[in-house]
Amino acid sequence: MDLRLTKTQNMFKRAAADFLKAEAPSHTITEWFGSKAAFLPDLYRKAAALGWLGMVIPERYGGASTSFTDCAVVFEELGHGPLPGPLFSSGVLGALLVLEGASEEQKKTLLPAVCSGKSIVIAAVADGGVDWGPESVETRLTRTTDHLVLDGTKRFVYDAEAATAFICAARTESGEIALVLVNRESPGVSIMPKAGFMVSVAEVRFDKVRVPVSSLLGGAGAGWQILDRALEKALPILCAYQVGACQEIFDFTAEYTRTRVVFGQPIGRFQRVQDHCVEISIHLDAARWVTYETLWKLDSGVPATAGVHEAKAVASEAYYQVCNFSHMVHAGPGTDYGHPLMAHSVMAHTLYQYLGTPLQHKRRMMDALYPRAGSRE
Amino acid sequence: MDFNLQADSREISVFRKEVQEWLQENMRGAEELRWSATWSTRENEEEYGFRRKLARKLGGRGWLFPMFPVEYGGGGLAIDHQLVLESELDRYGISLAAVFYTLARIVAPVILKWGTEEQKRNFLPPMLRGEVSVWQVLTEPQGGSDIATCRTKAIRDGDHYVVNGQKVMVGYHHPPDFLWTLVCTDPSGPRHENLGWLYIPGNSDGITIQPMRLMMGIKNAVFFDNVRVPAFNLVGGENNGWSVANTHLELEHGGEGRVGADPLVERVVEYCRETRVAATPLLEDTSVRDMIADMMIELHVVHLFARRNFWHRYVREPHPYGGAQFRYYQRMVRLRNGERLQQIMGYHALVPDLTVNEVVDFEYVVRSGPGMLHGGGTLDTDRLVFARRVGLGRPTKEKAPETI
Ligand SMILES: Cc1cc2nc3c(=O)[nH]c(=O)nc-3n(C[C@H](O)[C@H](O)[C@H](O)COP(=O)(O)OP(=O)(O)OC[C@H]3O[C@@H](n4cnc5c(N)ncnc54)[C@H](O)[C@@H]3O)c2cc1C
Repeated sequence: MDLRLTKTQNMFKRAAADFLKAEAPSHTITEWFGSKAAFLPDLYRKAAALGWLGMVIPERYGGASTSFTDCAVVFEELGHGPLPGPLFSSGVLGALLVLEGASEEQKKTLLPAVCSGKSIVIAAVADGGVDWGPESVETRLTRTTDHLVLDGTKRFVYDAEAATAFICAARTESGEIALVLVNRESPGVSIMPKAGFMVSVAEVRFDKVRVPVSSLLGGAGAGWQILDRALEKALPILCAYQVGACQEIFDFTAEYTRTRVVFGQPIGRFQRVQDHCVEISIHLDAARWVTYETLWKLDSGVPATAGVHEAKAVASEAYYQVCNFSHMVHAGPGTDYGHPLMAHSVMAHTLYQYLGTPLQHKRRMMDALYPRAGSRE
Repeated sequence: MDFNLQADSREISVFRKEVQEWLQENMRGAEELRWSATWSTRENEEEYGFRRKLARKLGGRGWLFPMFPVEYGGGGLAIDHQLVLESELDRYGISLAAVFYTLARIVAPVILKWGTEEQKRNFLPPMLRGEVSVWQVLTEPQGGSDIATCRTKAIRDGDHYVVNGQKVMVGYHHPPDFLWTLVCTDPSGPRHENLGWLYIPGNSDGITIQPMRLMMGIKNAVFFDNVRVPAFNLVGGENNGWSVANTHLELEHGGEGRVGADPLVERVVEYCRETRVAATPLLEDTSVRDMIADMMIELHVVHLFARRNFWHRYVREPHPYGGAQFRYYQRMVRLRNGERLQQIMGYHALVPDLTVNEVVDFEYVVRSGPGMLHGGGTLDTDRLVFARRVGLGRPTKEKAPETI
């Protein structure tokens, strides 16, 4: 057993922390959230130049062939921001979907562009906003003699506005799930940002969009398996991002208990305030260790399916609860949109939903461990 | 015991009929409106206009403050009348306490208790008739929960007090007619014996109001720069502000109670009946049912606590710890409900729905979980008050201050 990070990982961590300090200090991020400018092309290019897109993708496709843990260390740092933008949604999940599902030819053209940041490929999976799973795919895919037609609406797509292309999950005429690569500029594609207590979410409509047959990823029918394989590797990296966010909140909350004086003493002396901080630390450390153990499983070939679902459930729940407990410590000033906690609160609510809620992942964890009689998967 | 809110005597059933008819007439035009919550930024001029007019109409009949004495603009009625008014208004999704954006429901009882006869005759009628809006102005940036460290100074100068200082997180997004303000009347005096309350006209020279964008909507920072306020407007006497504050805080801390129930569960059930996932209504899903059951039970308990507090207040037997207990529990329930909604309806719980009253808008409920934990005092100070009232670790129980 050795629970330390490697030298390289510590180097990655430092580089990411320096980047954040220089390019996206907390007050700047607060401004971005305030103006809902969550995608900043310049910043994205800079992150790409540092090699943070497609880190786990093989070098021959333009990636860096790193381990999952290496990549997670970087994303943990970015979570401190929380740095918004499609670094995860395209640079990790989009890239892994292509890697897992595409033909050799598709990989050769697509992956280098995703890894360099030229293409931003965003998964559009569930149609509604409630369910997460194969049943949630309703957009229809029909085939004419020489092309495919995509018709449907994905109501909540994270990072959609940044996309240059979508990987859209759709149902074929025979009811199977297929993944189709759709250019954002294709006639019939429209994107409408969603207002609400969330960030970077938009509705994407595919209104009888014609796509060439060659844009299918994998065969029709392979769609959900590809998604599952890609998600299994991508989700723990998203979890690491949430761990970083929790760590940041723990740090600035603990600091606040030292500097905020009420009734003549630093609030950290009140046991009630201490209690809130204990809760924060438990959620933070639970998320951290479940996440990193799962990453270790992925890196060393230990079966990880149940662990991945557990990690997503624990990390999303943790981020959400850590924000709530931090709100209890900060009280009034923490609810001001000018306070860094608010960017985290908005992000935590969004990531609670993104790619499945804790409840949905707990169910999938149980299904992975104890398949139900007659289960389809 | 009798929990029935509608077991009307003959006199009361006549009154109920009168109220019903009056509301039918005077709520006309409200069908198209969807009530926004307090502090909301979503409310529009049409809604604001309607609500202010409704307050004046109710107030004109003494129905805004039914149990207050007639000579100050109240209705001179009994608790049964108040219950009728509350329950009939409840059908329209509105409560007496929140007809429009003002904290008169707290300020009026405090002035009734602590004001001189002349002050009551001057200040109460416009408030009880629903003509003026009042903000409660207590919190300061340094002091936070410890309002007794008040640094906003009010120094006597002839017939006036001169006010200087800053308050934060107060009010609404419409300007106030009056600011009910905690001030320090003796900067060198001992703690708790150096405070006062001023009823300050909102249009006084030297007041600057700066909006703050909070999770729940707009609150304000208020700056007082040599604001001259007639000495007549000091309520409760010089340096007696802490006693006045106790009445105020008890009301704000949940002691006022409420008869209406939170309509959230009905809306959740309706939504889950109509929304299908994989062809099955959400309401059929076992874990959704479990979560709704928890929500329903917890909100029911919140409602019973609120009714208990309401009753204690109106029979003038202050409940020893009811206010703090109610408010702490209500806030924790709201926090849990926010997460339940997110689990039940997914992303939909994060999108505002302008077609419903804001208090049952899921996005609002989710946001108010963490966003409304602290208004008027934090979870922790509620628990502190509870401990004192119950006498935890101390031989004497602190008494609940008398409210009206
Ligand atoms: C939505 C909203 C509406 C509001 N409306 C108004 C209004 O209309 N008028 C007005 O005057 N103010 C208003 N406020 C301000 C509110 O009253 C304050 O936020 C509250 O009193 C707490 O002060 P604070 O936020 O400065 O927290 P702090 O006092 O700084 O508290 C920080 C932390 O210390 C803890 N703490 C403090 N003292 C103790 C103690 N003795 N024991 C244990 N823990 C303690 C707190 O619980 C919290 O965890 C509003 C606030 C909000 C969020």
